[in-house]
Amino acid sequence: MILLALRNLWRRPLRHVLALIGIAVSVATLACLGAFGQGYRDALQSELNGMGMQMMLVPLGCPYDAAARVLRGKTLEFSLPQSALLTARRDPAVSLAAPMLMAVVPQVHEGRTDVWVGIDQSTRQMKPWWKVETGAPWFTGKNEVILGAEAAELEMRRPGDLFYSPETHRTLRVAGILQRSGTADDSLFFVPLTTAQAMFHQTDRITAIAVQLHDPQQTGAASTRLQTIAGAQVVTLSEMMGTFLNLVGAVKTLLFSLAIVALTIGALGVFNTLLSIVVERRSELAMMRALGASGPQIFALLTLESAILTLGGGVCGLIMSAFVGRALASVARQWVPLSPNEVLFKLTPNVAANCFLIGLGVGVLAGVVPAWQASRLPPALALNAD
Amino acid sequence: MACVVFDAKRCDAGAGRTRLKLVGENFPAVSNDIKMETLSFAVEADGLTRIYKRGGEEVRALDGVSFRVRDGEFVSIVGASGSGKTTLLNLLGCMDAADRGTLRLAGHEVGAINERARTRLRRDHIGFVFQHFGLMPTLTVHENVALPGLFGRRIWPSRHQKSLDARADELLERVSLAHRRNHRPHELSGGEMQRVAIARSLLNTPRLLLADEPTGDLDSATGESIIELLQELNRDGLTILVVTHNTALAAIAEHQISLRDGRLIQDSTDQML
Ligand SMILES: Nc1ncnc2c1ncn2[C@@H]1O[C@H](COP(=O)(O)OP(=O)(O)OP(=O)(O)O)[C@@H](O)[C@H]1O
Ligand SMILES: [Mg+2]
Repeated sequence: MILLALRNLWRRPLRHVLALIGIAVSVATLACLGAFGQGYRDALQSELNGMGMQMMLVPLGCPYDAAARVLRGKTLEFSLPQSALLTARRDPAVSLAAPMLMAVVPQVHEGRTDVWVGIDQSTRQMKPWWKVETGAPWFTGKNEVILGAEAAELEMRRPGDLFYSPETHRTLRVAGILQRSGTADDSLFFVPLTTAQAMFHQTDRITAIAVQLHDPQQTGAASTRLQTIAGAQVVTLSEMMGTFLNLVGAVKTLLFSLAIVALTIGALGVFNTLLSIVVERRSELAMMRALGASGPQIFALLTLESAILTLGGGVCGLIMSAFVGRALASVARQWVPLSPNEVLFKLTPNVAANCFLIGLGVGVLAGVVPAWQASRLPPALALNAD
Repeated sequence: MACVVFDAKRCDAGAGRTRLKLVGENFPAVSNDIKMETLSFAVEADGLTRIYKRGGEEVRALDGVSFRVRDGEFVSIVGASGSGKTTLLNLLGCMDAADRGTLRLAGHEVGAINERARTRLRRDHIGFVFQHFGLMPTLTVHENVALPGLFGRRIWPSRHQKSLDARADELLERVSLAHRRNHRPHELSGGEMQRVAIARSLLNTPRLLLADEPTGDLDSATGESIIELLQELNRDGLTILVVTHNTALAAIAEHQISLRDGRLIQDSTDQML
């Protein structure tokens, strides 16, 4: 029976290949989408884990917006008092609380904004990936600056150079330049926290506090305690992640509707192919009935044909998605907020299997109606065709 | 005859699955009994009427046709084009249902059994030969002959397959085409294709062979060899009904039935009676 089905498929290679491509494209689209979602989630998770913190203390306001701003190196309009830092450090669950003060200096003539970040030693401890390309690994004096790779390029400075900031009327010495990381850090100007507070007239103020716990399991309890700090609110890592995933959700919905369209087209392809097969093979199918095939057997034969067709399509689709997916992910990267630097495209066996099964289901379903029609052909056609 | 009616009733009433299957598996045994008891008739048609509706008008393709065919007879059905020969063959082959009249095949009342049982009856007891051979172009000669075996009780034949292959080879031998077993149908001549089709129709050892103009697509010499083959099969006990325009073929039949406009106008056995 399988042999018969295969031979039948082979008889009209072009048409069947077209139907197969339809299925393949839709399965590929689905697989890309799934792999992309999976990859993004994983990458974001590892990126946030890499930050070495479990939550962030930000001033009251839209917490998610605030967190996103801090993560992307933008300043907040409001700030926290330095006392909040002390309170946070006193909490038993907290192993590290790193303050930062962010300030934006618009460079109107050059059409860009410089972002200055004041940090202290604890920030460096929290960011294990903090690596200096050239110069000193940390500030040696008060009036020093460490530049992100891009910032150094723009300012054309090397370690040891002096650096005058006209807006704040200060001259700083470049202590070191960070390795290029591909994140927002590349374009930042890092200065000691106290220097930043003085430069931007924010004595005893900080923009945000990154909090690292001894044990991530304590996140819930710690966040309720820290929430009591006046003027501050806590945003946990998982909350942040949820927000970003929601943002990606919009993009995903778009892709998902594309996948549905592709799947529909694929299904219609199979439907059309099988339907025309039934019309074309009427007398042949009727002849099989005359030879003793029952209606259900004819139904099984045609369903088998469509199953083989979609099976082939599914396999081709997965192979296709493995190649196309990477290219697609790099395009998608530009549209997605807080793009992680890792592979955005992860075609896990789980994702692949799901897409494959969906494709198979839809394909076989599309084959059901033609097969049903075929099984109901009157056998008398066999002789009437003579 | 009482036994027959009883059997038909069981078929009809057996709405439950297992019941039906049971009856189905008893088919050969039951019909053997019938043969022993009633023997005489392979086909009993009584007032067969088939009306096709085309748009608003009715076409009486068959109109009250009655005749009987004894076991082992060679019957020819003749008549002008459109006289209802194919329609009659469809009814005899359980491929279509009569609008009126009754039909018994080997004692089974066809009108009384359901579609499943009819399919089984067709598969196990009736062979078909078509004018245009009706071979599957994608299958080899041997696979074509074995095809009806695929529609047997199981969808996936396994042990069954070996005996099926052997049976197909045996039948190819019988129609002297064993050497072409792995060829495709399009590589054969018309006569050879028809011989393959005849071999295929014999796979399930039918008791009745129905042929619609088996020589219609062949030249007279090739047709001759097909006629000889049919005669041989008939001598071996197979009941054969052929629809034909071929006078040679019609002439060798011991029993002739003539149709005109759906009516039976001549039945050679009636004249004898
Ligand atoms: N499916 C159908 N629908 C409507 N009318 C039909 C159908 N099949 C046959 N007929 C009509 O029934 C009549 C008998 O047709 P049938 O095919 O039995 O003739 P035939 O004797 O086999 O003719 P031929 O020698 O040309 O094969 C014809 O008038 C035909 O047009
Ligand atoms: Mg005809």
